[in-house]
Amino acid sequence: MALKATIEKLDTYRKRLKQKKAKPISRKKAERIVAKLDAKHDALKAELKAAKKPSKQERLKAKLEVVEELQARAAWLVKQIEKQDD
Amino acid sequence: MKKLLLPVILCVLLFGFWISRDFQEIAAGVAIFLFGMLMLEDGFKQFSGGVLERVLERTTDTIAKSLGFGFVAATLMQSSSLVSVIAISFLSADLIKLIAGVGIMFGADIGTTTGAWLVAGFGLKVKISAYAMPMLAISIVLIFQRSKYVRGLGYILAGLGFLFLGIHHMKEGFDAFKDQFDLTQFAMTGAAGLVVYTLIGAIATVVMQSSHATMVLVITAMAAGQVSYENAIALVIGANIGTTITAIIAALPATYQGRRLALAHVIFKVVTAVVCLLLINQLVTAVDWISRNLGIGEEDYALKLAVFHTMFNVIGVSIMVPPIQHLIRFLERAIPAPEVDVTKPLYLSRAVESFPATMEVAMRKEVEHLQDNAIALIAHGLNLSRQEIYATDDVAATVEQSTRPMNVDIDEEYERRVKTLYSAIVDFASRAGALNLPRDVTDHIYELRDAAQSSVHAVKAVKHMRGNATEFTRTPQGKITEIYNALRTEIARILVEIQKIGLAEPEMRSTLWLEEERVQIERDRKNTTRVIDSMIRNKEVAPDAATSFMTDSGYAYEAMSDLIDAAQAYYAETDEAMAEIEHILSLEEDEIEGLLIEVSEKDVAR
Repeated sequence: MALKATIEKLDTYRKRLKQKKAKPISRKKAERIVAKLDAKHDALKAELKAAKKPSKQERLKAKLEVVEELQARAAWLVKQIEKQDD
Repeated sequence: MKKLLLPVILCVLLFGFWISRDFQEIAAGVAIFLFGMLMLEDGFKQFSGGVLERVLERTTDTIAKSLGFGFVAATLMQSSSLVSVIAISFLSADLIKLIAGVGIMFGADIGTTTGAWLVAGFGLKVKISAYAMPMLAISIVLIFQRSKYVRGLGYILAGLGFLFLGIHHMKEGFDAFKDQFDLTQFAMTGAAGLVVYTLIGAIATVVMQSSHATMVLVITAMAAGQVSYENAIALVIGANIGTTITAIIAALPATYQGRRLALAHVIFKVVTAVVCLLLINQLVTAVDWISRNLGIGEEDYALKLAVFHTMFNVIGVSIMVPPIQHLIRFLERAIPAPEVDVTKPLYLSRAVESFPATMEVAMRKEVEHLQDNAIALIAHGLNLSRQEIYATDDVAATVEQSTRPMNVDIDEEYERRVKTLYSAIVDFASRAGALNLPRDVTDHIYELRDAAQSSVHAVKAVKHMRGNATEFTRTPQGKITEIYNALRTEIARILVEIQKIGLAEPEMRSTLWLEEERVQIERDRKNTTRVIDSMIRNKEVAPDAATSFMTDSGYAYEAMSDLIDAAQAYYAETDEAMAEIEHILSLEEDEIEGLLIEVSEKDVAR
């Protein structure tokens, strides 16, 4: 999981937050995004299970990898928000 | 008629000023009062863009609630006209149903009568100008503040100050007038008096565009003994009829729903006026009885008039609410919904421009309309049926079977169904930018405009590739047909994914779901380049066909990226914090590149 760009975006967001140009993001809201990604992950898994054509299976697996990457980033973001709250 | 009205009014005013100084004071009082109402309206508009709209959306789901909302809003704003304009604006943006709009308007008609109570009970008995001056002085300090809410408060205070000042001047004018002329000598009794004074009340309200102003004028004139009680009642009935003009004017640029609402208002007032004129003697007795029970003095005709004004509107609501479903059906028959013309903007009417929330909602709906037209045109341009690709389990097989060229002139359809809407969207966004809207509303409107632009670019890209895509896929021509079908399939899959996110519950979907499509587009783009290189090397496609394909694949990937950009902008979170999280987590171009390398390394290792 490469996080360089994500960290940069998080830093930019924090600067804008200090300048009151952004709305604060809460752990609850980040967890809602995690839930949305989980729902997509489950849907793709179900689709993969039903897929018969190898080409479709391959495509779905590739999509799953992207969603898993996003899930990992979202989990990382939740931790960052927790740290900040502490 | 409209052209004649202005010179006639000016002539009457000049003549009045010439013959009487007191008339000048009365006219200035009316002018100050109307100016106060405008300021009050501006003040409340400063608060819209949030609270007002949210409350309206949540409190109008039953007829009782919408009546209550109309009553409270008109009581606070002291203007049923402003509440009518809000209702028409929300109806035009499809934010509320017609029955809720009708309920709001009826409730506002009762709410606005509280103004007459204030004037009759407070304005005539207290030296009202003593309150007006400090209010005006404080208001101007608030108006110059940076915060728009403080500014709004300043406008409201100034509005009230001017209302009080206007009442004071009207009162002074009539008191002085009393000594020179006795208008009661023109008083008429019986049916003739009722009809003539009803007409005068209606005309005065049409001219002043405010039944509230007419009411205040009548009450102050009566308090000064210039109008008889009987004729004042007829004037009140006339004022109630005249006020429908404001709603009619507001409905002119509105959608058919706004016009239905204006018609409901006219029916409400005219029916009530007829009933009240027929039962006038019984009503006067009822007013006396109510006044006695409320402790209003026998001679306090000003307060009695306020009682009558409220009673008139309560009677109207009592008559109209029980058969309201019949009324709604009648309105729907009398003003039928126009045939939906997908080539014209459906939501961007001038009526939605009164309030920020309706502007954003209308813009969102229009962009969705454009997106729907664009997706239909893209599918047809590639000789695909949307229904078939949405329903199939195997998109590639469905695309392969779709060989029959569709009879569609893509250039003409682009002009008709896409460009006209896009022009209207750009124009609307520019107008929104020129208004003093809250920053987040303007930002959302601009993002939606950009989404529309991406949809337009996608259609243009497909327009360019349609000729070759049709030529090489109508009959099997070997490898070139296969690779064109592969391109069509990739675009079709994007359309399917956009449809899926559109069908998902707004609470459960995320634009991050489309990130995997962005990665997929990049992966397909790289594969396509590899495949075409290998085909050229192995002479599996003719060089001219290969060149066409390379150009068209560029258009195809451009169209896919644009479609994803449009969908991500359109389905973006409206909650700013959630949108911020999605932005932080989204993939940058170089991250997509990195992910593709990572996956291919894993494949090699396997």
